[in-house]
Amino acid sequence: MEKRREERPAIAVRHVSMYYKVPVEGASSFKEYVIGALRGRNRTRVLRALEDISFDVRRGEVLGIIGTNGSGKSTLLKIISGALLPTRGQVEADRDSIQLLTLGTGFDRELTARENVYLSGALLGYSRDFIRRKYRKIVEFAELEGFMEQKVKNFSSGMVSRLGFAIATARETPGILILDEVLSVGDMFFREKSAGRIQEMIHSGATVLIVSHSVDTVRKNCTRALWIEKGRQRMDGEPGEVCAAYTDWGKRRKEVGR
Amino acid sequence: MRGHLYFVTGQLVAREMKRKYSRSRLGILWSVLNPLLSMAVLSMIFSTMFRKSIEDYPVYYLTGLLIWSFFTAATNTAMTALADNQALLLQVRLPRSVFPLSRVVTAFVNFLYSLAAYAVMLLVFRIPLRESALVFPVIVLFLFLFSLGMGYVLSVLYVFFGDIRHLYGVALTLWMYLSALFYPLELLPRTMQAVIWQNPVYNFIAGARDCLLYGRMPPAMVLLRIALWGAGMYGAGRVVFWKSQNRVIQKL
Repeated sequence: MEKRREERPAIAVRHVSMYYKVPVEGASSFKEYVIGALRGRNRTRVLRALEDISFDVRRGEVLGIIGTNGSGKSTLLKIISGALLPTRGQVEADRDSIQLLTLGTGFDRELTARENVYLSGALLGYSRDFIRRKYRKIVEFAELEGFMEQKVKNFSSGMVSRLGFAIATARETPGILILDEVLSVGDMFFREKSAGRIQEMIHSGATVLIVSHSVDTVRKNCTRALWIEKGRQRMDGEPGEVCAAYTDWGKRRKEVGR
Repeated sequence: MRGHLYFVTGQLVAREMKRKYSRSRLGILWSVLNPLLSMAVLSMIFSTMFRKSIEDYPVYYLTGLLIWSFFTAATNTAMTALADNQALLLQVRLPRSVFPLSRVVTAFVNFLYSLAAYAVMLLVFRIPLRESALVFPVIVLFLFLFSLGMGYVLSVLYVFFGDIRHLYGVALTLWMYLSALFYPLELLPRTMQAVIWQNPVYNFIAGARDCLLYGRMPPAMVLLRIALWGAGMYGAGRVVFWKSQNRVIQKL
């Protein structure tokens, strides 16, 4: 039993490619589109956002994905979480246990903090009962006692992100947790607290994917790192090594640029 | 899963309602007052003009107005539902149809409130409800489906062509004049009347007037058109929406 669990990876990404058709002259209006179509001129270019990406993530592993902006990290996340279908290849993962942790999902600034807990919670897939049970804990963790009946638009950005973090991590153990640049939220003290909460979740056996362009975050938190550049898999291995290679490459690129 | 969808839709609708009235004192009361005020204005302008041909002009107008307002509010707001919730669509694994759906439901809740105004007017004008009024909920059901189907199609179109919003605005103006909201249909030449009977929205309005205002069953032909348009548009909307889902996400 135990062994079988080990054998099956939590996430299996197999030869995933993602191509977008991008119109050369973007027809953003209906008029342009019709004119273009009549002239046979809606030419498109293929943008290769991801090219043949394959990797496994084992249960309990903490994988950091690094790469420069526009390298395809967030496209990959969307494919893994099931929001996008890849052009080619497939992803095997237990979709129901995946939680994509982005802060303030569906927050509405015109609503009160309490109303937002329910709204955001509903969008994240929590049931009404669950939110009701966890409500006090969420408020407590976000350190927002006494502010819950106020509109979120009157909150500081730190308060908003604390609330967002508290809601997003209220779930006990999501089987697979995907963190998209969320470990740099709030002031120093809250950052420590949130890192602690993430550690807790990791220890309870969750598989974690961390996306970041901060090498430090990856080095500190991950057991393995994957480097993606221009949609291609550049390196996969021990976080220290991958991060070092990534930093080196960045430095070299800067020099060449000069 | 199904239960959860109700919860999410409920939350989204509550959000829309709170937003809508977050800056006003009378709040939800506006849903009742708005059609009444509009009715008062139109009645002042037109009731002398159409006095001979239409009995109880204010209620005649109000019946059409409520249906028309629901239809335009539902489709107009559903149109931008996908684009407005762009960020959410990529984060959340909910069926994407909840966004246009919750906009249509919001318009529907408003419609239900405005029915209170309608009930008051029926009392004021001493118009009794007959058994035929039982048909009204059925008409409303198909009206809901019709609007939802349109909303699905528009929300997808809007993602690809933002201009559709302005086009639709113009189309709605024309459509309103073709829906005989504030004039009697008999005023028009026969050929024009035939055209207007092809307008789905007019069929909903005529059906509602029959069963509430005149206390009679709408003609079978009207009921048939109502059912066909309602079910047909809903079906078409679903097909368009589900077929284009992946492309919508890529575009966003």
